Amino acid sequence: MDTNNQNAVKGVGDWFRWHLSKFVVAPSFLMILFFVYGFILWTGYMSFTKSKMLPIYNFEGILQYVKLWKQPTWLASFENLFVFGSLFIAVAIAFGCILAIFLDQKIRGEGALRTIYLYPMAISFIVTGTAWKWILNPGSGIEKLVQSFGFENFEFDWLVDPDYAVYTLVIAAVWQASGFVMALFLAALRGVDGEIIKAAQLDGASISRIYMVIILPTLRPVFLSSFVILTHMAIKSFDLVVALTGGGPGNASWLPANFMFEMTFRRNQIGQGAASAMIMLATVLAIIVPYLYSELREKKHG
Amino acid sequence: MADSIAFTSDRTLWHRIGRIGIYTLLAVFAFYYIMPLIVIVSTSMKDLDEIRTGHLLSLPAQINLDAWTFAWSEACIGVTCTGLKPYFWNSLAMAVPAVLISIMLGAITGYALTKFRFRGANVIFAMILFGCFIPFQVILLPMATSLGYLGVANTIPGLVLVHVVYGLPFTTLFFRNYYVNIPDDLVKAATIDGAGFFTIFWKIMLPLSLPIIVVTIIWQFTQIWNDFLFGASFTSGGNQPVTVALNNLVNTTTGVKRYNVDMAAALMTAAPTLLVYIFAGRYFVRGLTAGAVKG
Amino acid sequence: MASLNIRNVKKAFGPMEVLKGIDLDLDDGEFLVLLGPSGCGKSTLLNMIAGLDSITSGEITIDERVLNNVHPKDRDIAMVFQSYALYPNMTVGRNIGFGLEMRKVAKAERDQKVQDAARMLQIDHLLDRKPAQLSGGQRQRVAMGRALVRDPKIFLFDEPLSNLDAKLRVEMRTEIKKLHQRLGTTMVYVTHDQIEAMTLASRIAIMKDGIVQQFAPPQEVYEKPANMYVAGFVGAPAMNFIPATLVAENGKLGVSMQRTAKGNRSDVFLALNDERKELADWVGRELVLGIRPESVTHKSEAELNGTRNLQHFDCQVDVLEPTGADTLTYIELGGREVIARVNPHNTSNPGETMDFMVDMDKASLFDPKTEQRI
Repeated sequence: MDTNNQNAVKGVGDWFRWHLSKFVVAPSFLMILFFVYGFILWTGYMSFTKSKMLPIYNFEGILQYVKLWKQPTWLASFENLFVFGSLFIAVAIAFGCILAIFLDQKIRGEGALRTIYLYPMAISFIVTGTAWKWILNPGSGIEKLVQSFGFENFEFDWLVDPDYAVYTLVIAAVWQASGFVMALFLAALRGVDGEIIKAAQLDGASISRIYMVIILPTLRPVFLSSFVILTHMAIKSFDLVVALTGGGPGNASWLPANFMFEMTFRRNQIGQGAASAMIMLATVLAIIVPYLYSELREKKHG
Repeated sequence: MADSIAFTSDRTLWHRIGRIGIYTLLAVFAFYYIMPLIVIVSTSMKDLDEIRTGHLLSLPAQINLDAWTFAWSEACIGVTCTGLKPYFWNSLAMAVPAVLISIMLGAITGYALTKFRFRGANVIFAMILFGCFIPFQVILLPMATSLGYLGVANTIPGLVLVHVVYGLPFTTLFFRNYYVNIPDDLVKAATIDGAGFFTIFWKIMLPLSLPIIVVTIIWQFTQIWNDFLFGASFTSGGNQPVTVALNNLVNTTTGVKRYNVDMAAALMTAAPTLLVYIFAGRYFVRGLTAGAVKG
Repeated sequence: MASLNIRNVKKAFGPMEVLKGIDLDLDDGEFLVLLGPSGCGKSTLLNMIAGLDSITSGEITIDERVLNNVHPKDRDIAMVFQSYALYPNMTVGRNIGFGLEMRKVAKAERDQKVQDAARMLQIDHLLDRKPAQLSGGQRQRVAMGRALVRDPKIFLFDEPLSNLDAKLRVEMRTEIKKLHQRLGTTMVYVTHDQIEAMTLASRIAIMKDGIVQQFAPPQEVYEKPANMYVAGFVGAPAMNFIPATLVAENGKLGVSMQRTAKGNRSDVFLALNDERKELADWVGRELVLGIRPESVTHKSEAELNGTRNLQHFDCQVDVLEPTGADTLTYIELGGREVIARVNPHNTSNPGETMDFMVDMDKASLFDPKTEQRI
């Protein structure tokens, strides 16, 4: 309703009444304006300075960015993000999709299975990391388990191998997030129009064909939103690395978030931290903005 | 849809094999998901000898909760040996006010943005919503500086402020999307009946909001309890939340490495959100999908 | 009890003008129906009377008190919404009494008034239920009870019956009419249903594109529509519009148009009993003859000798649609499909030629360019 009535201004009380809504929104909006937009500008500015241990506010141009892209640790972190991100997203979507389709086959005990698949989402990444660190630890975990079955020469030491540590992140992250993808797909599958499937069955299509040709294509929006959410998670991943590999061995499994944290709070390289944070923001926006744009456009046309 | 994909074709041998295959695969996945929890629980009940001689999936000979009491009140976190207990209470003291404040703000903002729309309300909503998407690394440094200026650096109230601010976009989103579907006529009728802005909110909108309040409480509580980044960035020593303490406990290298204690501590850290999930799973899933799909 | 005056009221949303200068004056105890298609601005006007929408320019007064800057709750009006807008969290009793509660009426007095209103609407046994437990008709009554209990100067209704099924709608329509007769309170009622408008109103304001097309009692709207839009909107089946030429034959003015009878096309002349001078200007020019289906019937010699200006002609029948009471008979006049209401016992078969009779006293003439009544 339209309470924005200029004619109705009659004394302070009335003016206040007509603008009450704005007064109520103001605190939240100002907080967001300052703590989100203001802080982004602040970090952005800092990335153009030579700040080290303490912020310095002299403008120095893109110096920090040039330096950033020459740092081997940053390059390694970014490469790790690419490897970790693409595997994590692909496997989580594949697991989630398969589980949802299988769970949608009138499964006995579906409720219990769903609960089991999804519970990791309720847990902190730190707990996940702690648990998987123990499971993947060569001396105590899976390696020892398989060896105790009689396979004396079995080796599984990815956690402490600089070339493979990043893959352990994938194992734990998929464990945490794929149940959630499953929930998204399952909700969408339950929404597929049953008449289409009946019609296809009457046309003589087999179950697998119905899924490939009819159902999966209608799930395109779910693929897309899962992709966006998982990408977002991958770029923000920080806790899991800290708890599972500690970024190691060495800093072989750092992700950009770890790089940023180390530079800002441990190594007195605030300028580098700020520049890396801005790159992370840009990466997220590069994924999110086109997605939101297409979503909103679809809504307008639909 | 499950009804219509009911394999209406004749129950052939192949069909039976297919069913077995489906169940087998579902069971294998169930094992993948449940195994870490079993390992955590069983390891936390073993003593160190059992851990050394047994393997991952071997069960404890007897239920032994020594590691639990040790993790709760004696384990060393850095140089102080207080167990998780004080950090657990820190997390609670941080999460409860942050959840309540962010929900109140989100509810009233969502209400104002939908039911008393002023020019530009949609733009303001979109700008608030943007807060859901930023990687928090981009605000860490200014926040650390600002908390210092405000005199709440390394305090629980400081963390409450941080969680309120960055939870607000989500709570506003939840309530706004809920209130959009409540008919405007209700507000018009109440206006004619003589109810004002706040009366309508208290007497009509809030009583109708119970489902979304539950969803938002669960979402916010899970997010805030499980947070590590803010805790690690803005607090140190005795003011840290439990997730940070757990990580420090696990990485404290003084003395013998007591894996059973690590696992007991992990279980305690996970317990509150796990309980919420078990008892209110339906709302938890709804929050996840609402927050994630639309956010 | 109140008079309502709407003076040159305009409403604009940005550059879009939704109401373009509305003037309506309503006496105490009248029942005004705002009738029009969706988007004509009728609901906006109602919301402006209620104070839920601001007035861009102009003036709305109740009992000569200007309301433009008065908050809805201080206007002494009550409103019934299309969606009923019952508070789902409150019982029926509290819903009805909420307006009194907000006005700090003492509990005992409030309960008494709620009881009285509920009894009048026969919902006193439902007072402890929640709206979700009620049927559509019961919700409608609660919504009316909520308005009734306040004893306002003016009742406003925003399409209150459109969410009900056909049978219930007729029932509630009568109920509202009785209520108005009993209370004698001024009422403003918005609808797109012309039958509701005809049955309820003391005066109808027909709106289109933000303009009042005609503001008159129902019978006048029906018999003397101000323009072709009004003529077409009110009445079912709609008024027949026949392109015709005004001609003078034997010193009498009349309209001439083509028709087919017994296989031949020829002109038919229908004399008018209209002595107005303005008509002279129209001789030899094209105009539109508007005639309602019930004014075109089968030829009856007995009636032709009466005092009314009844004209007759013969014409080929195209299609028959029996409705029980009458048979709608489709013929072609002036190149247009025309419906006649014929007694079922006097019909002819399609393809045959039949004698018709037109009551030209009921005819309307329209300017084909402006579509206004001549």
